[in-house]
Amino acid sequence: MPGLKIAHDKCTECRMCYVVCREININAVVVSATSQHLLEIDDRCTYPKCTVCLMYCPAEGSIVETDTGRSLVPPPPEVWTEAQRWPR
Amino acid sequence: MSMNAEGASLSLAEHLIRQSEQEAALTAMDAVLEAALAGRFTEDQCFRLFARLWTLKRIMYYVYGGWAQGINLNEYPPAVAYLFGKQIYDESTQEMQLCDEMLRRRWARTQKQLFAHPYAQFGTATRAGAYIFCLRALANYPQNVRIAALNLGPKVIELAWTEKFAKFFPDEALHAIFQSQLAETRSHVLMGKFHVEKFIQKHIDAELAKRLCAETRRDYLFFIEETARFALGLEQERAGTVAVSGDID
Repeated sequence: MPGLKIAHDKCTECRMCYVVCREININAVVVSATSQHLLEIDDRCTYPKCTVCLMYCPAEGSIVETDTGRSLVPPPPEVWTEAQRWPR
Repeated sequence: MSMNAEGASLSLAEHLIRQSEQEAALTAMDAVLEAALAGRFTEDQCFRLFARLWTLKRIMYYVYGGWAQGINLNEYPPAVAYLFGKQIYDESTQEMQLCDEMLRRRWARTQKQLFAHPYAQFGTATRAGAYIFCLRALANYPQNVRIAALNLGPKVIELAWTEKFAKFFPDEALHAIFQSQLAETRSHVLMGKFHVEKFIQKHIDAELAKRLCAETRRDYLFFIEETARFALGLEQERAGTVAVSGDID
């Protein structure tokens, strides 16, 4: 199953993904236990069923598909469908 | 700043750090660590500890909110505002980490449940409350004095017990969290040192910094004692009754 990961070279650490993921109780975006405290997406992520972080991420290319490395910010039309925006 | 004034401030910073380090040498958190090392620290006790630490971190927003309202940015160079902003961001990061771990371990299923959990409640008539209200009241003081009081007092003690937890705490994930917070907490102490060395020049500010630092240190030590007691399941202090004898009218 495809997942998401954060491209740290693009991410601005604004933490919007963290906030929205926490808001819908998936809690897949976490602060890493390293001294840089970068955000990471763990295996609780339900992508492609949920794409809410992609909607709110402001930094182009900062969230990518784990398998393909494809940038999902801004979300491509086939990902950002009505059914996928928020988890059902 | 003249050499004399700089010299005096330098010794004040060192004096405050040294006093706090003495207080930090042995605290109630050592009892928690000892229990963990002896394998007597249960999952529930761990939850209690994290919930109390998280409660303090999240209530710091209330403190910093008050301080930010009172900060006069024109009085200090941009470095002061930058470092203050960085400290707020770091505290927020640490709050997020503690919350993440509690959710990851399923001690609560959602953040909302965590907020409502009895372990994570903020009580006003508690040592945590006394400490937080003591810090919030520093909003009435200039930024240089209150940063001296917090960063060269409680922060030094926090750094000391976090260092011990980062070195010796047996649970690997928790150990990694404490380890990852060290650089930030250390930077807060150094930021406090910088503030005192550069911006505390008047005698009255130096005296205020000493007094307020002693107060915040005392209140923080009470807070960690309360936290350790709670985590270890020891008997809690009872809040006393406040008798008001004066005529309020």
